[in-house]
Amino acid sequence: MLMRALHDEGVELIFGYPGGAALHIYDAIFRQDKIDHILVRHEQGATHAADGYARATGKPGVVLVTSGPGATNAITGIATAFMDSIPMVVISGQVASHLIGTDAFQETDMIGISRPVVKHSYTVFDAQDIPKIIKEAFYVATSGRPGPVVIDIPKDMTAPDKLYDYEYPEKANIRSYNPPIEPEQNQIERAVAAIISANKPVIYAGGGAIASNAFKELFELNEILDAPITNTLMGLGIYPATHKRFLGMLGMHGTYQANMAMHNADLIIAIGARFDDRITNNPSKFSPDAKIIHLDVDHSSVSKIIEADIAVFGQVKNSLEAIIKTLKNNLDDYDSERLKPWHSQIAEWRSSHGLNYELYKDESDNNSILPQAVVQHVYNITKGEAYVTSDVGQHQMFAAQYYHFDKPRKWINSGGLGTMGFGLPAAMGVKFAFPNEEVVCITGEGSIQMCIQELSTCFQYNLPIKIININNEALGMVKQWQDMNYGGRHSESTYQNSLPDFIKLAESYGHVGIKIEKNSELKESLEKAFSMKDKLVFVDVYVDPSEHVYPMLVANDSLENMWLSKDKKT
Amino acid sequence: MIKRKLIMIMENKPGALVRVVGLFHQRGYNIETLHVDPVTDFSRYKFIEEKLETKFKENEISRLTITTFVSDSLMRQILRQLNKLIDVIAVSNEETTYLKGVLLDENLL
Ligand SMILES: Cc1ncc(C[n+]2csc(CCOP(=O)(O)OP(=O)(O)O)c2C)c(N)n1
Ligand SMILES: [Mg+2]
Repeated sequence: MLMRALHDEGVELIFGYPGGAALHIYDAIFRQDKIDHILVRHEQGATHAADGYARATGKPGVVLVTSGPGATNAITGIATAFMDSIPMVVISGQVASHLIGTDAFQETDMIGISRPVVKHSYTVFDAQDIPKIIKEAFYVATSGRPGPVVIDIPKDMTAPDKLYDYEYPEKANIRSYNPPIEPEQNQIERAVAAIISANKPVIYAGGGAIASNAFKELFELNEILDAPITNTLMGLGIYPATHKRFLGMLGMHGTYQANMAMHNADLIIAIGARFDDRITNNPSKFSPDAKIIHLDVDHSSVSKIIEADIAVFGQVKNSLEAIIKTLKNNLDDYDSERLKPWHSQIAEWRSSHGLNYELYKDESDNNSILPQAVVQHVYNITKGEAYVTSDVGQHQMFAAQYYHFDKPRKWINSGGLGTMGFGLPAAMGVKFAFPNEEVVCITGEGSIQMCIQELSTCFQYNLPIKIININNEALGMVKQWQDMNYGGRHSESTYQNSLPDFIKLAESYGHVGIKIEKNSELKESLEKAFSMKDKLVFVDVYVDPSEHVYPMLVANDSLENMWLSKDKKT
Repeated sequence: MIKRKLIMIMENKPGALVRVVGLFHQRGYNIETLHVDPVTDFSRYKFIEEKLETKFKENEISRLTITTFVSDSLMRQILRQLNKLIDVIAVSNEETTYLKGVLLDENLL
């Protein structure tokens, strides 16, 4: 019944790992051929893979785990999806109903443990309810502000010896849940009036705009506005990075021009973004002169940190459509020419301290490889068209800064939770969704070791992902903070020569390993890796271990105060 | 910080109450008083009938009264977060009421 309901819901792929409490379900999987099950090597891998699949496709990822340790292993991945509002349905086996509460073998209160990191959760108390619960779970996971939903199923609820009438509901009807879709017109009109009178507007778009699939609408809006636009780490790709109005990412490691534009703006149009602390830095010093228009589907995200002057609740896509329509009716009042001084100010910022590509052009063997250069070469070789997943650390920021995403859903990283170990399994999820597309995982030697076991899954299912291990022989981001804030005391951020030989490791999993240590080998070796179309290639690139990520906001200050290099502040 | 009261109408489902309490706990707020009653007298509330899948049955929904000490801005945030919980049908304090479209009555208090 469960498998049938999942099939009727349109599920094609489940990532999971079996165990006692899930065995009835696993037997049902064996006896059907409509849904593929992917056997991972760790339940965390299953959740990240389903998450990667969801981020790349926009469809909900589906996970199946057993009770107890299976369920607890899934928690990190559920929390990761929760923080980034990713639609996911996690089905966990549970001990049989009559054993619940008895400290039975492999019993944990999964609903309790997962409660703070799910959008909602269900326990199956009556097998007859399974189709209705599945329908509701997928509806909740994918509608409004998306998020993970857990369904805990006691073993007796999937017992094969009991038969039930089956009917799959056409529609979920939850009387206590009704997320906003269409915005209120009077707010739209106020927003348009503010847009028309602004002289220094900035569009600030985040992950919510991607979740709402608002690429076309955002682009269309800015064809009219001609305003500078910045994206959050989660929003990269929702506006073409190579467009002349794109400022780059903002926030902690945002570009100089993006942060300066935000600080000096007189109007910020926030679109599916939530003003989190990596963006605002010190909220009391944030953009002092800006009026804020905030478009979001989630009431509780608006005026949480920064008070919104105009709040537009609804699906971001619909709200943008409404703004475009109203703006078009008032087109005579909108004069994009008046933004000229603003654009030239921004151009000045961009040329003075924009990300400086030239810096990285001296690729002789006298210098160690710079991590930024690795990302740039990967960008060039893949023509900017690859799906790029990443882990967490300096390499993640370099990837976000130097790979320029022109399309949404191609940059896949854990923004909110910052989960090391996300990159490789997420890349698997993307590759399952798009087997013919190039999928690159830009990672660090620290992060990759947190889910390295999935190399085995990649071999089993023949997933020719390219792993670019930016190896600085350290927990680089931790080390950078220690350099900047702790007098350079590198407490537990290096490994004392204990790193594995990643080439042999990749080979022992049945893959290809390539080691790069010199600038002169960089381009050629990367090209070679990408030319092996049907192989997973693990590229281990040794980079300058002393490199830091810049710009970096000065702690607890405004957006105009940044470190631009180790010894230069704005 | 002054003592504030808020009232909720919610589904009487297992786990619903703990989600509400958890929201307070997570942010470090103490609940001063908590009172839960099953709703038996529906004539007190005006529901939009066509929005209900089925009519409410006895004991199917609860009325929850909470008093707590929080600041204004936090109260507003808590109200919105509570409203976001899937099992919550309506939530209200002195100033604001969220109804999710099934309840007509603005005045829960
Ligand atoms: C699971 C987890 N544990 C700890 C951290 C804290 N943390 C953030 S970045 C980082 C270092 C990552 O090292 P590496 O993957 O080598 O990336 P690098 O910064 O060196 O590029 C750590 C430990 C985290 N984000 N996630
Ligand atoms: Mg590292």
